[in-house]
Amino acid sequence: METYGRGTDSARTRRRVGIADFAVTGDGAVLTTSGLGSCLGVGLFDESAGVAGLAHTMLPTAPDDADNVAKFSDTGIDAVVSAMRREGATVGDIRAKLAGGSAMFEFDSQEESIGKRNVAVGRTTLERLGIPIVAADVGGDSGRSLRFEGDTGVLVVKSAGDERRL
Amino acid sequence: MRVDIQSLGTYNRLAQEGAEHAAASLTQMTGIETYVDVTNVTLMSKQDVEDVFGGTEFVGVQIGLGGGLSGETALAFDQESAASIVDVLVPGASADDDGEFDEMARSGINEIGNIMMGGFVDGWADYLGASVDMTPPNYVERAGTDVLPDGALDRADEEHVFVFESQMTAVDQEIDAYIYMLPEYGAFADMLAASDDHDDAIPMDKLTVFDEMTRQGAEQAAGNVSSMTGIETDVDVSRLSFVPIEDVPNTARDEVYIGTVMEFKGTPGGYLAILFDEPSARTIVDATVPMELDEPLGEMGESAIEELGNIMTSGFIDGWANVLQTSIDHTPPELVHDMGAAILSPIAGRLGQSQEYAFLMDSMVVTPEGEFNCELYAIPDERKLKEALDSLLVERSDQLEADQESLF
Repeated sequence: METYGRGTDSARTRRRVGIADFAVTGDGAVLTTSGLGSCLGVGLFDESAGVAGLAHTMLPTAPDDADNVAKFSDTGIDAVVSAMRREGATVGDIRAKLAGGSAMFEFDSQEESIGKRNVAVGRTTLERLGIPIVAADVGGDSGRSLRFEGDTGVLVVKSAGDERRL
Repeated sequence: MRVDIQSLGTYNRLAQEGAEHAAASLTQMTGIETYVDVTNVTLMSKQDVEDVFGGTEFVGVQIGLGGGLSGETALAFDQESAASIVDVLVPGASADDDGEFDEMARSGINEIGNIMMGGFVDGWADYLGASVDMTPPNYVERAGTDVLPDGALDRADEEHVFVFESQMTAVDQEIDAYIYMLPEYGAFADMLAASDDHDDAIPMDKLTVFDEMTRQGAEQAAGNVSSMTGIETDVDVSRLSFVPIEDVPNTARDEVYIGTVMEFKGTPGGYLAILFDEPSARTIVDATVPMELDEPLGEMGESAIEELGNIMTSGFIDGWANVLQTSIDHTPPELVHDMGAAILSPIAGRLGQSQEYAFLMDSMVVTPEGEFNCELYAIPDERKLKEALDSLLVERSDQLEADQESLF
């Protein structure tokens, strides 16, 4: 897990976010993550502070003794928000965009799929923090790759040959 | 001996953190942004080691460890990655026409190797509460298994060896680096050994049987591909590794695959994914569909791949069922066509609800002429795997070993 600070690089640097990982930028870096299937991608942006964060979480809810908070949708979102606040963001000014949470297989979609639960926990967590969700591209049965532009808060979703800008 | 799963997890995490320090050093010295892709600990037989390292040219350094952690390490770059790093690190140094590095380039590689491996072992020393001594770096430019520390292959011949492997990749460039650490077997076995009352432990000898089972499953699957396509196939790599559950999706390469996925029911439960990259899938479709297709990976091509996935799955399952002497229930294989990590993510997610680490058995089916390759990922449910191993009779495993020798 890495948190990236302000002023180390020029604008539009690319930062890669792994699985169970997040990154925060205060200098307009582009945050990317790929291969989201049932995982959840959460892009958070405080326009007035110019601070953005992207999380890639794998499981819905953290157990009490979780050793990697970035792995879970609830604690992962909390962690990005805290890191953004340290960069100067104000929780009340943060807006969220969600992507991911697919049900890739039949056997995964019979019960409540991991993807659906990730999305549900993401929504509840953001609601608890009072952060509005301004756009979402979730569900379906295809994987997604994300590109979150830290200077504009635009989330570009690539999926099955399509590209959508949120 | 029995292996304590928790401590195997702890050592894996130390290796992961060590690799992150090493990658940070590389970034700091070269300005090339790098990250750690995958860290795993693998139990390898001599054949596994040869399969994994065979046929590749490496440049790097070897460093021996002593003190709190004894064993051998190697930092390896492929030739082109090493050249890119030398360019940045020691401008003016170069490779001659044969690709041999000059003295300046070698000392640059030595220096970065020393610094990266220093970062790698720091966390281990902290955890073990003992200092770890490092020998001076030994520059190596070698092919395949020879990049491994001397003697490693011979030791693997006598008993399986544990290999810690971390892959580091540059964000914007084609640069790959690998760290290998082979702890001295006896000392490491002691570090892993579970106390008798530990109910979370897995018997070591049975784990090696499971490794062989996977190879047998892959062989049978490969045999079925050959009969269907008429193309000769071989199992190139088959290994059992232990990875944090969140690293499972990244074990597939960052590209689009087409193949089948299914869930095992019962003991051992878990998942099997059989994946072809798109160029490989096109080759298969050409070989098996009797007519020319406008879009080889359209509906018709996909159904040919699905059929092949079915046939390989049953081969794989036969391999396992033979050893366990039980029938194995499973869901029908489902066709999937998407990014590798996206395909594996729901599997990691479902298992991740009850386990932090996964035993990942990955095999690669290849053809002698390189027409196509196919990746097989079997990921058992940890608890079910333990049950399956517990019920695996030792006599049965002896018999398997005899069978294995007659087979290979």
